[in-house]
Amino acid sequence: MFKQHFDLPLGDDGSGRFVPWIVAVMVYLAALSVAAGMAVNRSVEKWNIGLEGTVTVEIAASDAPQQTAQERMDQALVLLRQTAGVLSAKPVPGDEISRLLEPWLGQGEIPLNLPIPQLIDVRLEPGTQLDLAALGTLLENAIPGARLDDHQYWTERLADFGRSVQITSAFVVALVALAGAGTVVFATRAGLAIHREVIELMHLVGSRDSYIAGQFQAHAMSMSLRGGVVGLALGATTLGILRGIAAPIQGSLLPTVTITAGAWAVLAALPLIAAVIATITARVTVVRALKTMP
Amino acid sequence: MVRFQDVAMGYSAGEEVLRGVSFHLRPGSFHFLTGPSGAGKTSLLRLMYLAHRASGGVVRIFNRDIARTRRGVLPGLRRRIGVVFQDFRLLDHLSARDNVALTLRIGRVRQDVIREHVTELLDWVGLGDHLDAKPPTLSDGEKQRVAIARAVIGRPNLLVADEPTGSVDEHQGVRIMRLFEELNRIGTTVVIATHDRHLISQFDYPVMHLDHGTFGITGNQ
Repeated sequence: MFKQHFDLPLGDDGSGRFVPWIVAVMVYLAALSVAAGMAVNRSVEKWNIGLEGTVTVEIAASDAPQQTAQERMDQALVLLRQTAGVLSAKPVPGDEISRLLEPWLGQGEIPLNLPIPQLIDVRLEPGTQLDLAALGTLLENAIPGARLDDHQYWTERLADFGRSVQITSAFVVALVALAGAGTVVFATRAGLAIHREVIELMHLVGSRDSYIAGQFQAHAMSMSLRGGVVGLALGATTLGILRGIAAPIQGSLLPTVTITAGAWAVLAALPLIAAVIATITARVTVVRALKTMP
Repeated sequence: MVRFQDVAMGYSAGEEVLRGVSFHLRPGSFHFLTGPSGAGKTSLLRLMYLAHRASGGVVRIFNRDIARTRRGVLPGLRRRIGVVFQDFRLLDHLSARDNVALTLRIGRVRQDVIREHVTELLDWVGLGDHLDAKPPTLSDGEKQRVAIARAVIGRPNLLVADEPTGSVDEHQGVRIMRLFEELNRIGTTVVIATHDRHLISQFDYPVMHLDHGTFGITGNQ
């Protein structure tokens, strides 16, 4: 009989008809941006975890007659295994080195006389204070052609890349939020102009600004939630499709990218975040406008 | 209750429509306000129901100097004033029932109380079978009765009505006046602006006359 309704006919005036669609596009873009940012971040994390606590010793092929390649490898292994803080030192098998070179030289195309360096995979004890620079110098002096790679070059660049992607993702989301808020401001102002007489009447019968603002807020929240859910559904569908397309090449050409449960939770929260932004924007816009009325 | 002291009022850059108006309405009084068209009756009422601020003088409503009252206090004062607008000002998208309930809803009155009072009052003004009708489907007389019901539903301390019987037949007009008298009997101060000299003559209430700059009150106050 007495239904819960809007005293202001905001749903019938057309001022906000486009808002759900714009919010849907905004949430869709935000979902893709957030997913990309988090997926790249996760990959960078995985690479970093893989590299953390390891160093690689590379022994270049050499024509030096006084030592064979095997003798130099053995000497390096002995030196490394005697060093405090080294957990293990294992030569990387020739097959593995060939596999690593396959993307550049092709499968089974490595010439027999190609001077391929030998590699030692060194694992460090967790939390060790080992002076890697000193160890590198020791190796270089003791074994001709030996060089220690602590992966710092790559980890720094990976970290830079991860940060850049995060910043870009955050920037895109901020732009999307601003554009969404701007849309709500325009729709709310249009609503205020269309319903000026009704608002004046509501004032005259004793309505507080907060009561009128509440009606705009509820309308903005409803519109943006509807649009947000549609945008999220589209975003999730797109991510699913991309995942399907990438599946056959993940692990070989592309790193395995996963969207964690936490990431899905963040994505699921996007419509709610959009609704909160729309609600606050509508309230601020209405309260400011109403202050100019008697 | 209502005290005007040397009050002036004008609209933006235009000429003043009221000048030097002074009177005092005691709590529980009943007054008619009359005068020719354009004399400023509606402007005077607008000052009373706090739709406008005076450009000069002092307007005191419920013992508050309105010029010095913070904007945030006005809604509470307005809820104590019932207004019947000449053009009804009903919300076309709401039913008669929801239009009448508006003031109570704004005042956060409980739904069951609203339901009971609104239905009872609409029944009393003869619109018991039009509860769900929207204003565009009602006649002018019916709209006026809805507007009156909305103005009195909150049992206001001050009732301001602009030509409240202008669109109803004589029988309905008398019924509406009886309703205003009932409200007045329980303490509501009533001001009714009307052109209808016949209506005024039927009651023994003081009459405020407004005629292009001159203001006066006749009858027992």
